[in-house]
Parts: sequence; C-alpha cells; structure tokens
Amino acid sequence: MMPAEYYLVLSAAVFCIGLFGILTRENALIFLMSVELMLNAANINLVAFSAQYGNLTGQVFSLFTMGLAAAEVAIGIGIILVLYRNFSDVNVTEASTMRW
Amino acid sequence: MAGAFTYAPAIAALPFVSFLVALFLGDRMPKGGALAGIAATAGSLLLSAWVALTVAGGGTYNQELYTFVEGIDTFQLSLGILIDPLTALMLLIVSLIAFLVHVFSLGYMNDEGETGLPRYYAGLGLFTFSMLSFVYASNILMAFMFFELVGLCSFLLIGFWFREAAPPSAAKKAFLVTRFGDYFFLVGVVGIFITFGTGAFAGAESFPAIAEQALNGEADVTTFFGMGEQAWFTVLGLLVLGGVMGKSAQFPLHTWLPDAMEGPTPVSALIHAATMVAAGVYLVARMYGFYALSPTALAIIALVGGFTALFAATMGVVKQELKQVLAYSTISQYGYMMLALGSGGYVAAVFHLTTHAMFKALLFLGAGSVIIAMHHNENMWDMGGLKDRMPVTYWTFLSGSLALAGIVPFAGFWSKDEVLFEALIHGLGSEGGLGTVLLAAYAMGLLAVFFTGFYTFRMVFLTFHGEPRTETARKPHGVGWNVKFPLVVLGVLAAIIGFLNMVPLEELTGIHLAFLHDWLAHGGIEMTTSETYGTLLHDVAHIQAAYPLGELGTTLASAAVSLSLALAGVGLAWSLYNVDEPTEHTDKLGSLKTVLMHNYYQDEYQVWLATGVTYPLARAADKFDQGVVDGVVNGVSSVSLFGGDRMRRLQSGVVGNYATLITTALVVLLVAFGLIGGWF
Repeated sequence: MMPAEYYLVLSAAVFCIGLFGILTRENALIFLMSVELMLNAANINLVAFSAQYGNLTGQVFSLFTMGLAAAEVAIGIGIILVLYRNFSDVNVTEASTMRW
Repeated sequence: MAGAFTYAPAIAALPFVSFLVALFLGDRMPKGGALAGIAATAGSLLLSAWVALTVAGGGTYNQELYTFVEGIDTFQLSLGILIDPLTALMLLIVSLIAFLVHVFSLGYMNDEGETGLPRYYAGLGLFTFSMLSFVYASNILMAFMFFELVGLCSFLLIGFWFREAAPPSAAKKAFLVTRFGDYFFLVGVVGIFITFGTGAFAGAESFPAIAEQALNGEADVTTFFGMGEQAWFTVLGLLVLGGVMGKSAQFPLHTWLPDAMEGPTPVSALIHAATMVAAGVYLVARMYGFYALSPTALAIIALVGGFTALFAATMGVVKQELKQVLAYSTISQYGYMMLALGSGGYVAAVFHLTTHAMFKALLFLGAGSVIIAMHHNENMWDMGGLKDRMPVTYWTFLSGSLALAGIVPFAGFWSKDEVLFEALIHGLGSEGGLGTVLLAAYAMGLLAVFFTGFYTFRMVFLTFHGEPRTETARKPHGVGWNVKFPLVVLGVLAAIIGFLNMVPLEELTGIHLAFLHDWLAHGGIEMTTSETYGTLLHDVAHIQAAYPLGELGTTLASAAVSLSLALAGVGLAWSLYNVDEPTEHTDKLGSLKTVLMHNYYQDEYQVWLATGVTYPLARAADKFDQGVVDGVVNGVSSVSLFGGDRMRRLQSGVVGNYATLITTALVVLLVAFGLIGGWF
C-alpha cells in the first residue's frame, strides 16, 4: 500500500492551487471552482486517513463533504446570477458599493 | 384629655386649606381670598388656645403620624407632632400674629387697590402653614423641611411686587443668603441621623437624650474624624446653627433682612415677629437639650448674639426709612435671644421671643399704617407731626416703642432685662474662657440697650412729633378699622405681656410672679423642660450662676443699669429730635457716618466674596471640569472614533481582500504557534 504521505502532498498541492485561484482571480465562477478544489483536497485527506487506519468514518464524512459542495455550488450559482443582474459582470471586485 | 391633640393637625392644615382656596378660587371671591385666610387663622388661633389650655392642664403630646421611609435595621423618616409648653406658646404667638396680619392686610392691600391679591393671600396661607408645622415638628428632618418651606414663602412674599426692580432682587438675596446657612443645617441633620439614628426632639429615644447618655458613657454613638463625643456634638450643633444664623439674621448672614423690607409691610410684620426670623431662634430653643451639652457651642451662640445685638443697633441709628430702622432693630433683638440661649437663659430667650413677637408685629403694623397715611413714602424726614392726625396709630406705636426700648413696665423691659441678667450672672459664675465670653457678650448686649433706646425714639420723634415737614404729612390718608383693630390688640399686648414673667418684681416683693418659668418647667416629656435644661447646663456645660450683690441686689442692679441706659438713649433722642424742626445730626459722626450708612460695608464685602473669590474659584473649577475631566472623556472617545475610522477601511467590499486577510492571518497564527510550540 502506498504510504499516506503521498496523498497528503497531493492534497496540499490541490488545496494550494484552490487557494491560489481565490487569491488571484476576480471571476466569481473561477472562485466557485477554486472552492471545489479546496473541498476536494480535504476529501482526499479524509479518504487517505480512512484507508490508513482502516476506519470508514473518513470515507462517510467525505460523502457529506460532497453533499455540502453540491449545496454550496447551488447557492454560489444563485449569488453569481444576482451579481450578474446587478453589475452586468461576474467580477467580484465590482460588488463593493456597500462598503463604508 | 386627648380632645385638643386629636385636632392639633388642623392648626396647620387650616391655613393650608386657605392657601389652596386663595390660590384657586381667590379671584372669584370677595376680597381676593382674604376672608378664607382670616377664617383659617382664626380657627388656628382658637385651636392653639385649646391646645394651650390642655397643656396647662399637664398634657403633652409626642406622636409620629406618618412614616414615609421605613428603614430596616436603621432609622426611619417620619412626620409627627410634638406639643409641649414651648410649642403651645409658640403656636399661640404664630397663629395670633398671622390672624392679625391677615386682618391688617385688608387695610394695607385690599383698600389700597393692590392687584394679585389671591397670590398674596395664598402666600400668607402657605407661610402660616409652614411655620405652624415647623413649630410642632416632632423631629429635626420634618423641622428642616418646613424650615425650607418658610424660606420659600418668604421668597414669594418679599418679591410680591415683582414688576418693580428691587423686590425680586431682595427676594433672591433673602433666599440665597438663608440658603447658604441651610446648607450647614442640612449637613447637620444628616450628621444627627447617622450619629444617633434618630431625629426626634423629645422623649427617651430622642437625640438630645441619647447624646446625654453618650456623654455619661451609657450609650454608644458613632463619631467621625476621630473626635471625642463632646467635640463631635459641638460640630453637629454648630452645623445646625448655620441654618439658625441664616434664618434669624445673625451676623454675618444678616444682610438679607434689611433688603427684605421691599415686601409688603404686613409680610414684614409676619416675617419678623412670628415666622421666618423667629424660626431660627425657636429651633435652638426646641433642641436646647442638645446645645446645653456643649459649652463651646453655647459660647459661640452667646458671642454671635451679643455682637449682632450691638452691631445691628448701631446701624439702626442712622437709617432714614421707617422700615429700615425696624429691620435693624429686629436683627438686634434676635441677637438678644441668641445671647440668652447661649448664656443659659432658656426661659429668658423664650420670654423675649414672646414679647418681641408682640411689639415687633405692632411696630411693623404701625409703620404700615403710617405708610398708608403717607401714600407709601417711607422716609421719616418727610413725616413729622403725625401724632395729632393719627392718634390710634401714635399711641399703639408708642406702646410698641416703649416695649422695644425696654422702658418699665412695658413688655420689652422685663424680657430684655432677664436676658441681660442671665448673661451677667452666668458670665460671672462660669469659670475660664466660657465666663469671659459670656461677659463680653453681656457687655455688647448692654451697650446695645442704649442704642436701642436712641434709635427707637429717634424714629418715634421724627415720625410723630414736631411739625409736619411735607404736604402729605399735613393731610395724611385716613386708615380704617381693619388697620386700627390689630394695632389696638397688639398695643395692649405689648404693654401687658411682660407681666407673664416679672422676675425683678418677684425678687423684690416675694410674690410669685414668674409664670413663664412655671409654664416652661412643667410638662411630662423628657428632655424638654427648663428644669432639665438647667441641670444639663450646670452638670455638663458647667455654666454656673454667681450673685455678687446677693440675689435681690444683683437682680435690681442689673435691671437698674439696663433701664438707665435705655432711658439715656431715649433722653438723647428726646434732646436731639423732639423739636419742632429736627435736623440731621448724623454729620457729627464724621467718617463713622459713612461706615454706618453703608452698613459696615457688609454687602460690599459679601459681593466681593461672591465676585472676587467665589466666582474665580467657580471659573477655575469649571476650567478643570471642562479641560481635564471632560478632556479625558473626550480624548478617549476621539481616540476610538479615529481608530474606528481607520479600521473600517479594511471593509473594502472586495471578497478577494477578505480571503487574503483570512489566509495571511492563518499563516501568521500557524507560524506563531509553531514557534511557540517548538515545531521547527
């Protein structure tokens, strides 16, 4: 069996890619995708440790995470639609009219 | 037995009802509400007489009627009624004077066509109510409350003619000066409550009784600032004395009283004879059991009284206005009462309070009659020769003047002589500083007798004798029955009321004549009889009497000295002013005249104290408050305001910035925990 470290490195890499996407991009759709990446990085961790310890809890938990991700996308798409209607754009930096 | 006392609350309640009636219905009633006031005070007078008869039969009354604050394991605050011989006497005086003043007001206010009569009679009613309630207050807090009400009423009545410039200013001055004294009184009341846990005047649980037990080591009281019990009691007594000095116009808080002459003359009579000014002296008499425990307080009272008696009498000598002379004589006479109280002459003080109430009310009402006749001109130099034109006023005024000057056998002679006699024997008998102080006060009081005789008869001669000096004085305005009736009643009383207590005659003839001594000595309530006070004065304050010429000889010598001084004063006034065309002799006084005319610059120095000392002090305090205290508060708020303004820049509205912040913070925290936790 492959040691858990490989999975952890993969997971960290996927998480960092997601984080990088959120920090650098302005498109709300890219944001959603990046959040998906970060959630899946967590899923990889859960499944890897589940396999490591022979305990199914982690795998069950990753199913919950997927459900959560689906719900998040549904809401996220809704927000993006409203954003687009109000600003004719999906750029997140535009939506700053309610600051201070 | 209980009959009269059941109705005792009505003595004060009746004038209160007349106050309400005059205030709300006065403008719809004939005479502007005067009749309600007359009926109410007549009712009070009858009830007071009934109460006095009951007290004469040996009855006393000391009852809490209403408790408005019920303390748990501590004192309670309540309203109650205390009636003993002193109260009964004072109730009679106050209701009698109030009744006569109401009648006189018909002539002075209604017949002169004054406006605002409902307000006037409402004020008189409230004034009478406050004073009567003060007189039979059973505890010092209730006394304080009505003491303040009396001050308020004097403010309202002195400033009655508020459309002119002087009366409102005089009213404010009276209010502020007496209030200055009342601050001390209030502190004293609080001090008495926390020291003794009670404010009751009489009974075994009263504060004078507890104070006496504490001095004998039988009771435990809380003293402050590490003082011994007697020193602390002296402090409390002196604090209360502050209020007394304000109300009774004792030096240096006497300056409001001459200005208070701006009020209507009947009000002056009421203020000076029976209510406001009498309240101060009455308070000392009421809690005399407490003052008798402190020789220091007594010495101060005597010294202030003696000094005030002389000081005010000298100022009365040069005044040109009738009511001003009377005002200074009032200050002087109350000085005598304080002198008597301070030197252990409790009965003498009450006696002088009684006789003074009669003759001073008479003199003021007589002056009011003259003022009506003179079309409200008060300058004595515009009068003269009124003797033949208004005989009733003249003869009654003369009776009052003889009483004020202390000429035998008028009332003032007996009481003033007894005051001076008590001061003399106790001054001679007491040892150390106390005796010296009492003798000094006696000397000042004795000297004031001469001035009293002089200014009183200067006033009489200038007003009534000689040739009329103006057209008005030649054809004075007539006065009606409502002016003459009170004058006659008081004129007779001023002549005969001294027979209550003829101590010198008793010594001479051996017949029992000192009725007031008996009156004040009997009565069942502990700590309020003159005999108890005598014992306390002797045992605790160490005031003793000495008779260098024997009891009879000293009595007669003292009477002879004061009488001859009074006669000398009268004689000097006779030779200077009882001529057809009197001239001012005040120029002969030289620079002293200027000083006297300016009342020893008392007003000037008090104004200087206010504007030169208090005002800069207040301004400095204001600066400190605005600058330092408010500055700190404002500084704190502006720092947070500024910080908040900067901090909200973080809320850029850009989601990416928030994500950056969260990430950075997470990294920083991880690194920090890592460093602390030793992961690296």
